[in-house]
Amino acid sequence: MLGRRPQDEDSATHMDPAAAAEPDTSTPEARAARLERDVADAIEQQAATSEVLQTIGRSAFELEPVFETVVRHAVRLCDADAGLMYRLDGDVYRLVTAVGGGEDYRRYLAEHPVAVGTGTLVGLVESGRRTVQIQDAESDPRYLWQEARELGGFHSIVGVPMLAADRVAGVIVLWRDEVDPFDERTIGLVMTFAAQGAIAIQNVELFQALQQRSAELARSVDELRALEEVSHAVSASLALDEEVLQTVVERAVELSGADGGSIFELDRPAGEFALRTCAGTSPTLAGELRRIRIPLGETFIGRAAADGRARQATDLEAEPSDAHLEALKADGWRSLIAVPLRREQESIGILVIRRRTTGRFEPQTVTLLETLASHSAVAIHNARVFRELEAKTQELEVASRHKSEFLASMSHELRTPLNAVIGFSDVLLERMFGELNPRQEEYVLDIRNSGRHLLDLINEILDLSRIEAGRMELELGAASLPDLLDQGVAMVRERALRHGIALGLTIAPGVGMVRADEVKLMQVVVNLLSNAVKFTPDGGSVDVRAEVSGTDVLVTVRDTGIGIPEEERERIFEAFQRGGRGARTSVEGTGLGLTLSRRILDLHGGRLWMESAVGEGSTFSFTVPQLAGATAAPRERETALAALPEPGQADTILVIEDDRRSAELLQLYLEDAGYRVAVARDGVDGLDLARRIAPTAVVLDVLLPRLNGWDVLARLKRDPDTAAIPVVVVSMLDERGAGFALGAAEYLVKPVHHEELLRAVTRCVAPPAGGRTVVAIDDDPVELDLVEAVLGPQGWSVIRALGGEEGVRVVARERPAVVLLDLLMPDVDGFEVVERLRADPRVADVPIVVLTSKDMTAADCERLRGRISVLARKGTFRQDQLADVVRRLGAGRAGQPEGAP
Amino acid sequence: MSDEPCVLIVEDNPRNLKLVRDVLDHVGYRTLEAGTAEEGLALARERQPEVILMDIQLPGMDGVEALTRLRAEPATAGIRVVAVTAMAMKQDRERFLAAGFDGYLEKPIDVRELPRQVAALMPGAET
Repeated sequence: MLGRRPQDEDSATHMDPAAAAEPDTSTPEARAARLERDVADAIEQQAATSEVLQTIGRSAFELEPVFETVVRHAVRLCDADAGLMYRLDGDVYRLVTAVGGGEDYRRYLAEHPVAVGTGTLVGLVESGRRTVQIQDAESDPRYLWQEARELGGFHSIVGVPMLAADRVAGVIVLWRDEVDPFDERTIGLVMTFAAQGAIAIQNVELFQALQQRSAELARSVDELRALEEVSHAVSASLALDEEVLQTVVERAVELSGADGGSIFELDRPAGEFALRTCAGTSPTLAGELRRIRIPLGETFIGRAAADGRARQATDLEAEPSDAHLEALKADGWRSLIAVPLRREQESIGILVIRRRTTGRFEPQTVTLLETLASHSAVAIHNARVFRELEAKTQELEVASRHKSEFLASMSHELRTPLNAVIGFSDVLLERMFGELNPRQEEYVLDIRNSGRHLLDLINEILDLSRIEAGRMELELGAASLPDLLDQGVAMVRERALRHGIALGLTIAPGVGMVRADEVKLMQVVVNLLSNAVKFTPDGGSVDVRAEVSGTDVLVTVRDTGIGIPEEERERIFEAFQRGGRGARTSVEGTGLGLTLSRRILDLHGGRLWMESAVGEGSTFSFTVPQLAGATAAPRERETALAALPEPGQADTILVIEDDRRSAELLQLYLEDAGYRVAVARDGVDGLDLARRIAPTAVVLDVLLPRLNGWDVLARLKRDPDTAAIPVVVVSMLDERGAGFALGAAEYLVKPVHHEELLRAVTRCVAPPAGGRTVVAIDDDPVELDLVEAVLGPQGWSVIRALGGEEGVRVVARERPAVVLLDLLMPDVDGFEVVERLRADPRVADVPIVVLTSKDMTAADCERLRGRISVLARKGTFRQDQLADVVRRLGAGRAGQPEGAP
Repeated sequence: MSDEPCVLIVEDNPRNLKLVRDVLDHVGYRTLEAGTAEEGLALARERQPEVILMDIQLPGMDGVEALTRLRAEPATAGIRVVAVTAMAMKQDRERFLAAGFDGYLEKPIDVRELPRQVAALMPGAET
């Protein structure tokens, strides 16, 4: 510590080379004495430092004790005659402590703070940011403050900076009366004290900053609390009663440290402000204020409101008089601030805060009041609006209720007589009470049909009313659009046939389930179809198409009728308009169908529109959203039909199905695709036929008489003559696991779609795209070794992929016959591989065998359902079973002996 | 022109047409039918019926315009025309009569009133 010479420039000593006093070290005795003294000094300094530090520690918030201690010790230890400490205050240095120097000197210094950059010691220290020693202040040209020098009577002086962050926070000054410069060691010591002093100063400054922040925070918290209270009061009682405004004015008075206040609200028709509430106000004054008229633009506060800005009257006496101010003055009020409550460029109220003393309101207070004011303005407005809204809503509810009741009772009323009309007509037609002659029958039919027509009309009107009243609720669910269209076409088929109108229905691949209210959507379909048929002349055609369009399904109904002229096109969607669509004006039509249809589709989130050309026909189109998540199934259909190979001459499919209709259907599908089909009606016959004709593939129902499907399957697989024949199991239940375990190549659940069946059969029958290649994907090389060991000898070419990422790449590249896939892999796991492979049309149909040691949860199985061929557990799945499965999945055409490469 | 009095029915709704025709047939009148105003005008010129039962709400040209046309041509100007309408407003009767119709029937048609109105309009009935 002693003799330590700080290296950095800031505290480099600046001394005349000859200034430092040299110790005497000539003789051993002198040296010993010197050492003794050094030790004594060291001990003293330790003690001094210790005391300083303690002082700092004790009084963290006050600097005077610290400064005093530091200077006192410094003076003593440095053997100075006086010591001073200056502290930076703004842009001057002020004397904060002085030890020695005399009364007059100290007073003089106190009265003359040192400015930065002057020719004083402090100035020099500050500008150089380092210690400065002047051997003789009287003679040194750098030192210019001679008055001080003369008063103090000093000669050698040294100034040490106290550096805090980037500035000289203070300076310690020591001086001696004589020209007796301080030595290095001494100066070093002072610098230590200076450092300590700097720390103390910094601490205090930080603390003060902290305090100030805390105070600000506390203030903000107070304000927030006040605002919150106001908000709460407002929302709790959206009715604008006195309570809310009371809260506002009370908080405002409190937070602004004022004595009282009032809130005035604008009475719009009168153009005047009226007192709503006040705080800190005597009842007498309140009464007065209520009485006084404050028109907008008149009186002090009225003018503030007209201006739209807060206005202060720091002394009410100084303002031009008005009734309001007079009343206040009479009651002892001396100053006020008027803050308009603004809402959309208009003052809807005035918040007045007043004091019993004169004076300004601080800017912070004004800001706060303005915040409160705007808050209150919003509150007042909201409350007003809310009240209106409540009233309106009530009215609407009443009206709505009436409307509903009306609809309900009207519905009942209208239907009742129709009961009689339709009912009795039917009774007569049934000949319940006697025979009818032809003329009578004809008439009664007319009566009944008219009755029915009327009933339809009433129903449609009610539907329409309900939609308009927002009361129609759709029961949205999953509906099969192809089925709906099928049914719709079936309904108009008879009529179309009668008029020689050709009906066409084309459903593009990908059209499947839609999100719809089945009943209502059917209504739309029937409406469009019957219109089309109705308005197409004999011999024409009506063509229905459905295709996927984005996330919707687009359906078009095109007819070859006479078309609809331009001016009618929108009109026909209006209620009861039956545009000039042809000579055959409808007996059955209600004129509501299209209106309703459009509304119904709107509710579904779809659209209905039409295009037409006179003389060429009309096309009505509508969209309805697809069922989310149902796109998986449609996409499968797409890929299927794309690449169906032509079956060869020898390709016979054996269908084993006992239900006649199902069998016929299957046969139809298969023959349609070019296969020859043999049918067996029970298990025994099925087995028999299989052995005899050796079909290319078998489509096997599970519920069979005599021998059930599982048994058939098992036996087929046990018999070497039939073991290689791929079997497509078709069942009512999903027992895929059992199916594959027994050796099924494919498993379909009824009802089986056309495409699904063909795809399955094709997969069984078509030559494997990948020849004899298998890609095995696993993150464990040992597992891959195992697969190779098992399948290699069987003639398979096993391509290894380490991990999911590589696996996907390799499969896309190789297009193997089969993929063997582990599930638990880091990064890209088996599930993701399945996703990605299935999404790639090039390899979407490659069978995947999952070989995993994962404990499969129901959710796991669900993720893989329908997307993989076999799920097997490592360990329990035997090697020969694996070979079997792979062989089956990658099987070639019929006739290929088992195990042949 | 034959001796039997003839009534032309201009009506686009087949069932309504049938009702009117059957009732008039039953009473003994000969009937002609037209589904549009244009057809009706053509038939009126050609066959000169004694009375025309004219539906007002017709597709294309309506019954009122048809009346104007009938009155504009000497050949048909003298034919008696009854307005048949479903518009059931109070003032309609006056309105149609003022427009030049000789009679007015409201739908649903009263099947007893119908033959009476027609009979009253037949030539010779005024006497």
